[in-house]
Amino acid sequence: MIGSRSKGVVLWTIVWFDLLLLSLPTLIIIGASFTSGDIVQFPPEGFSLKWYSKLWLLDDFKSAFLRTLYVSIICTLVSIPAGTLAAIGLARYRIRFHTTIQVYLLLPFTIPLVASGLGMMIFFGEIRILGQLWPVGLALCIINLPFMIWAVSAAVNGLDDQLENAAANCGAPPLQAFFTVTLPGVMPGVITGALLMFILAFNEFLVSLFLTDARTVTLPVSIYNSIRSVITPDLAAVSVVYIVIAFIAVLLLDKLVGLELFLKSK
Amino acid sequence: MASNSSSKLPRRWHLFDIAERNAAALWPKTMHRYSGYLLLVPAILLVFVLVLGLVYIGGYSLHELDLATYRLKETFSLTNYSAALTSTTYQSVVLRSIGASILVTFFTLLLAFPYAYLMVRARQAATKKFLLISLFLPFFIGQIVRAYGWLIILGQEGLINTLFAGLGLPAMDLIYNYPAVILGLVQYMLPFAVLLLAPAITAIGRDVELASESLGANWMRTFLHVVLPMAKPGLVGSSVVVFTLTLTDFAMPEILGGGTTDFIANAIYDGFFQLSNSGLGSALAMILVTLGTAFVVILFFLAGTGTLGFNGREQ
Repeated sequence: MIGSRSKGVVLWTIVWFDLLLLSLPTLIIIGASFTSGDIVQFPPEGFSLKWYSKLWLLDDFKSAFLRTLYVSIICTLVSIPAGTLAAIGLARYRIRFHTTIQVYLLLPFTIPLVASGLGMMIFFGEIRILGQLWPVGLALCIINLPFMIWAVSAAVNGLDDQLENAAANCGAPPLQAFFTVTLPGVMPGVITGALLMFILAFNEFLVSLFLTDARTVTLPVSIYNSIRSVITPDLAAVSVVYIVIAFIAVLLLDKLVGLELFLKSK
Repeated sequence: MASNSSSKLPRRWHLFDIAERNAAALWPKTMHRYSGYLLLVPAILLVFVLVLGLVYIGGYSLHELDLATYRLKETFSLTNYSAALTSTTYQSVVLRSIGASILVTFFTLLLAFPYAYLMVRARQAATKKFLLISLFLPFFIGQIVRAYGWLIILGQEGLINTLFAGLGLPAMDLIYNYPAVILGLVQYMLPFAVLLLAPAITAIGRDVELASESLGANWMRTFLHVVLPMAKPGLVGSSVVVFTLTLTDFAMPEILGGGTTDFIANAIYDGFFQLSNSGLGSALAMILVTLGTAFVVILFFLAGTGTLGFNGREQ
């Protein structure tokens, strides 16, 4: 690092504070989930895995978990083609109203989630698909789509466009050039985007709150409903499931594309 | 003979040939200059669902609730907007949300910038990896779970109050107030801000900083006059995201505020589901959309899209 000793001290002090802030809720939840007592308290009353074993007996938890998995998979599967094609279209083709389309495709970020959720609740109600599970997955895809386009755009911009010209020169027709040259080239972006889409859908709360009912409730919404009543350690065990999945996703992302990718300047 | 030799070609080639023929029939060469638009169609249709949703909300907002039937009246009126804008309750909710957005943006950027800077500049790969993983792990854990963690830490029987009791101090109400909401939001926004700042800091060469220091500036002046101005695209991108996400947040004020510190999103939700007044709720939603959009447009107009643009260069 450039600079004096005082710089290191000041910056690292803030960063250690950041690290504490970032990790504290996670660590506390993990700690609370192993209590053998019946309430969340400190220090935890003994060590046990009883809340985890109880989790597997809870049908509510299991079905909410499976529903969450289902909507996250739909979200990811829809977003992969939609986001990838859009990113390639924006980066590789001459598009009129390029900026307008770009702003339009950022709408899911600029429209507040509460408005997106309500709007889709009303619209899905009008076309009579509200109350089913798959529209929830579609909705989660829509609100997070810019993440997918973003991830692939970064990869397309990093890919030499002469590669596609070379493929065409060598006689590859459009589809072949796309599937054997462009797509493998942007794969790191597609993987990053797909992982982001999955994990965001798995955690999404507000839009799901509007689009689900008692029969279709997903895990984040059911955790929210439980927090409002009474805080018991089984909730901590459910939350640990989230922490474990997040951890797996981080490791996967690091292994497949490398987290350092996010530090690259554009 | 010819068919014999062609059957030795990889099967993939045949499949591609068939696919190409079908594609050429469906999308002839004369259409190729529109190929870019074709690729954009799925994404544009998906986002159009949100536009339709907004149209519905806009429509609802123009009809007043009929208290006799609890349905929206047929006639158009701006009653909901005037009710929302003149109500002192909603005025304070709007001001509280904007105030929180400013506070959270300020604290988040203050905490995020050193993190992003050290992460980008870290010499050792292990330090870099440690900072990245510590950032991504909470990033991948949603708001609800993190808010639950804060409940355990700050609650009546929580970690901090237990520590206080151990020291002989009285229990304090650390939860269901404004500072708790701000704390939860800053913690939630931190990864977003760092990830939007990092590419901008990477773009600043080390040599620029070296040059500044060799010309006699100390590190604080280098930071203030060289690094911060050059990181503008990242500062713009992260400010926009943190500000708008806070302005429109629902979960943190709901869970950590416990109904005492409603933001606009909470008021909209209550309008719909507690007052059963979808007209008023919709009017509030339109006001929130306008506020959020106005902020983004003003900032983009003043400072460009920063690290938010899809094509990676400042527009």
